[in-house]
Amino acid sequence: MWHLVWDFRAELLRGLLTAFEVAITALILSLFVGLFFALMKMSRFAILRGIASTYVNIFRGIPALVSVVWVYFGWSLLFGYNFTVYQAGVIALTLLYSSFFAEIFRSALEAVHKGQREAGQALGMSRLRIFRSIVMPQALKIAIPNIGSMYIGMIKDTSTFTVIGLAELVFVMQSINAEYFQPFVLFTAAAGLYVAAAFLVDFVFRVIEGGFSYPKVGRVKRFLTRRKRAQIQRLVEAN
Amino acid sequence: MPPKDKPPLLLEVTTKGMFAGRTTRKTLSSLHSQLWPSCASIPHYMSALISLRGIRKSFGTSEVLHGIDLDVHSGSHTVIFGPSGSGKSTVLRSMNLLEEPTEGSVVFEGIEYGPGIPGDSTPRGKKIELRRQVGMVFQQFNLFPHLSAIDNIALSVHAVTGKSKDEALERAAQELKNVGLLKWAMNYPAQLSGGQQQRVAIARALSLDPKLMLFDEPTSALDPELVGEVLAVMRKLAETGMTMVVVTHEMGFAKEIGDQCIFMDNGYIADSGGADFFDTCTNKRTKEFIGSVL
Repeated sequence: MWHLVWDFRAELLRGLLTAFEVAITALILSLFVGLFFALMKMSRFAILRGIASTYVNIFRGIPALVSVVWVYFGWSLLFGYNFTVYQAGVIALTLLYSSFFAEIFRSALEAVHKGQREAGQALGMSRLRIFRSIVMPQALKIAIPNIGSMYIGMIKDTSTFTVIGLAELVFVMQSINAEYFQPFVLFTAAAGLYVAAAFLVDFVFRVIEGGFSYPKVGRVKRFLTRRKRAQIQRLVEAN
Repeated sequence: MPPKDKPPLLLEVTTKGMFAGRTTRKTLSSLHSQLWPSCASIPHYMSALISLRGIRKSFGTSEVLHGIDLDVHSGSHTVIFGPSGSGKSTVLRSMNLLEEPTEGSVVFEGIEYGPGIPGDSTPRGKKIELRRQVGMVFQQFNLFPHLSAIDNIALSVHAVTGKSKDEALERAAQELKNVGLLKWAMNYPAQLSGGQQQRVAIARALSLDPKLMLFDEPTSALDPELVGEVLAVMRKLAETGMTMVVVTHEMGFAKEIGDQCIFMDNGYIADSGGADFFDTCTNKRTKEFIGSVL
């Protein structure tokens, strides 16, 4: 019975890949939307803060299943525009996870020491420059591990998109099951693939975190900065 | 006794000529060049580089500074000291408007910054312009931890003066050499001792060629053995003629470089004096404080 997994390895991996694709598109979108709402929540104006709080509180409470069904069926009922299954999946995940990312970014931004902003101000840097070069890099370093675990959650949440017909891992597995009736084998294979995906994501994020560490111990970052380091070395020796 | 509050002096000015009839209120200092035109061209070194006029600061309902007036002349070294909670850090931070005063203005080279006195309508300068000419060194160093020592300085130069990144790096190397830390250029703040971090912070502030340097208890967070190297850099800076305002507990150092000594207590300037202040002060509270520290 385990030969089933090997025979259908192409389809199962294709399903996992689809889940990855949906999740990564949703991740990139959620990062921007989440940052936007985080900044809104930290604004001086109470109206913006109120809007952002409402958004975050609503979408943190909705499960992925409800969200995706509402986006796929509800939107075309209300507005007549039909999303493709892929688009609906991405939108649903983005709506959900951007609220989590808003909270992650807000707490990361507030965790950056107030003195950093003051040092930037005392030097005469513009507000945008302080945010871009001083506050944001430090906030990202704090936020990255949380983003990594959220991404694993996103991949798992794609499993609920079976109901709208997205051809991801659980859908593929259920269609194989409908033909061969080996649910135990197939569910174990699916679980194993999800766990493997989680390990892979964890590894990738660990490399990314290395890029944000100071001093730069990550191999990737050391490679990227070699020209600059050579330039500084030359300056030090010249003086 | 702390000085009593003086009501602000505002003059009502009515426009004449083509746009006649508009009445505004202005302070004496802003009308100076019109009232005494022959004195208008007196160069800046005769008047104060920076002066605080009637600075009041409240946090919520409690008033922390009650009407501070202070003049700092170009090339002089001012030392502010006093017990904790006396408002000395607040006074220093209002000099580059990190603390927005509730009332009062900061006049730097003739331009007024800050909220001013209510009813006064002189044009105000922008905060960022003031901050680009005034450098500040913090008690907690506030170096950017995600950048190396040389990058800390190069980023400031590049972001504020708009020089190219290569020029900024060269300038940064120069500044590091001046404080004696060029060998540690590529180290991150976490890899530097407290004294080294503070020296990089001083180099970073100096890299923008400020006209005035503010030091907020620069050695208070340092181990006693590391205090000396930072004071040496500050002494060297004082000898080059930089205008400095220092809030410090290092009375020995204050005695050494201080041209104007200010003692603050409870949000007032309780006593002030010149270079011989520590020996010739007569105020009982001041003598108590100095006696307990020196």
